[in-house]
Amino acid sequence: MKFVRAAIGAALLVGCAGQTASAATGNVLFNGTITATCTLTVNSNGTMTVSSNLQSLSSHNAGGSAGSVQVDTTGGVQLSVDPVTTTTVPAADVTATTWTPTFATTGAQTISETGTATALTVPGTSTAAINLAGTKSGTNRFSAGNYQATVTVRCE
Amino acid sequence: MTKLWVLLVATTACLAPLAATAQSMTPMRGEVRSFTDAFAVKVFPGNPYDKRIRVEVHVYDQDFRPVEARISPSVFLLAGQASRPVLVVVPFDGASDRKVRICTESIPFPGEQTQIRAQICGKFFGHRKF
Repeated sequence: MKFVRAAIGAALLVGCAGQTASAATGNVLFNGTITATCTLTVNSNGTMTVSSNLQSLSSHNAGGSAGSVQVDTTGGVQLSVDPVTTTTVPAADVTATTWTPTFATTGAQTISETGTATALTVPGTSTAAINLAGTKSGTNRFSAGNYQATVTVRCE
Repeated sequence: MTKLWVLLVATTACLAPLAATAQSMTPMRGEVRSFTDAFAVKVFPGNPYDKRIRVEVHVYDQDFRPVEARISPSVFLLAGQASRPVLVVVPFDGASDRKVRICTESIPFPGEQTQIRAQICGKFFGHRKF
């Protein structure tokens, strides 16, 4: 009788040994949405110098320097410069000046110098060089004194 | 009037979760449904510099003409690396839909010969529900 009980117990143990513990698995989903973002950081303003014929006041001239703006974006935005509307000129300058702002970028995205709104499609950091040129036509010349202009750089 | 504010705040709350801090302006896109004659957007201008700057918030239409909107606050000083909420309430002016640009502007280094105004504009679309 003892032998029979031991045999039954051993058989039950052997039967249970083959069974695995039941466990359920499930997936946890993570979603994230990144909307278009843009950060403009002005590194430095520009400097304009006058040309030898006194008809150009530009950051492109010798001794002049472009302004610098860092652009951080996820892409999906547009970079542009506005026509210059805010200027300060010396009282002696009474003739018309045509102001032309332009920009070019290097870094995450390279854009050749342009005045036209351009899409930023590449995410990352780019550096924009902002230039401004003032020109006078005919016999008009720039006068001695302080000139100041504001260029609006837009990211939208 | 109280109902109007409740609805405006409710519509703003729908947009608020999209916003994040430490950007020049977030969100930059948005679509708002409103049951009133105006819609509200909450934007978060940010200051990426280490110094305090003067920030202005303006609202323009599709052609960059100024839009008469209620902006709270419209001009403020923002500490370095800081961000703060700005509530913009745009009237529909009788239209059923309205597209506007909300722009954050600053001149971080004023008083120099060629100064740069940085402008971040977001595009927002308001739908009026009757």
